[in-house]
Amino acid sequence: MAKPKLALYWAAACGGCDVAVLDTNEKILDIASLVDIVFWPIAVDFKYHHVKAMADKSIDLCLFNGAIRSTEQEEIATLLRAKSKVLVAFGACACHGGIPALANFTSRAEILQRVYIEAPSNSNEQKTLPQLQTKVAEGELELPELFDDVKTLAQVVPVEYYVPGCPPPVDLILKLVDLYATGKLPPAGATVASDKSLCDECDRIKEEKKVTKFYRPHEIIPDPKKCLLEQGIICCGPATRGGCGMRCIKANMPCRGCFGPPPGVVDQGAKMLSAIASIYQGNDTAGINRMLEEVVDPAGTFYRFGMADSMLKRKRLQKS
Amino acid sequence: MSFEPKIVGILCNWCSYAGADLAGTSRKKYAPNMRVVRVMCSGRVDPTFVLKAFQKGADGVLVCG
Repeated sequence: MAKPKLALYWAAACGGCDVAVLDTNEKILDIASLVDIVFWPIAVDFKYHHVKAMADKSIDLCLFNGAIRSTEQEEIATLLRAKSKVLVAFGACACHGGIPALANFTSRAEILQRVYIEAPSNSNEQKTLPQLQTKVAEGELELPELFDDVKTLAQVVPVEYYVPGCPPPVDLILKLVDLYATGKLPPAGATVASDKSLCDECDRIKEEKKVTKFYRPHEIIPDPKKCLLEQGIICCGPATRGGCGMRCIKANMPCRGCFGPPPGVVDQGAKMLSAIASIYQGNDTAGINRMLEEVVDPAGTFYRFGMADSMLKRKRLQKS
Repeated sequence: MSFEPKIVGILCNWCSYAGADLAGTSRKKYAPNMRVVRVMCSGRVDPTFVLKAFQKGADGVLVCG
């Protein structure tokens, strides 16, 4: 019997998801012996035209990491959707937008202005911006177009499964491979992680949640046994799906929310805001104002990984 | 044409909704800009409700309770 065909792709993401696949260490050899890798730009030398030449639905499993924010990424997402039987949104960016989706707080014009004109390390006296088409002696060169919006994979093409995490932990990757290999994949639409919140599986001592002052992680050394939220550190555990193995919590760092919202929660940031508001002990306006100042960058804190998938979606664009 | 805001009022059954009801039975008039949603307690209000109201085109949200 022919081995199942596996494809991996890297869209708007940092590359950590591809490294996470390699983090399976010696298990990667098992994976490699179980499947044929037919497309994996970071590791093997197949080109887009090789994928285009494949028959529809000829890839058995495709792990797609990264959000969608350019015409190239959209094109490859559509292509891999057509060629794959099972498409998996792999990692926080593909699932919920991830860190790149924080760009939804700005616009394409502002990003280009900042990156190519204003950034202090630039030397761009002609104020050159990336062009979609450029004529050179050899002919015309073309670049993919950047979108105003960063989108999740599922906002562009239908997706079968979600493996969240920044990056997905090794045990969940192996669980997915195992579910696939044994033919025990859950119904389409499932997330391969816990169905409960991170707080539910956190083993720290939880007493009464009454916070009078919020700290940023570098401002105090937290007690490694007590709930971080009770110590005034914003930990996104209450509004985040569990199953990550508490990697951050074990390192005495708060949850940043990379697993996205638990089942049934539409907007992770709003839910986290709700949790924070309900534990803060302060009734006077001055205290509330002080607390608002203590939460530095609330939008980036509560929507750090979930902006594209949230109800807010993005900052309103100025109509030109 | 003057601006007529659409305001979603999320009102507690036991105080503010009762007040709005009393205003009605006492035949007092108030501007029709507010559309009332009754909740059994303002503690029931989730920030998602507020976001949803704005998403659906509300100009303002009033939470009373």
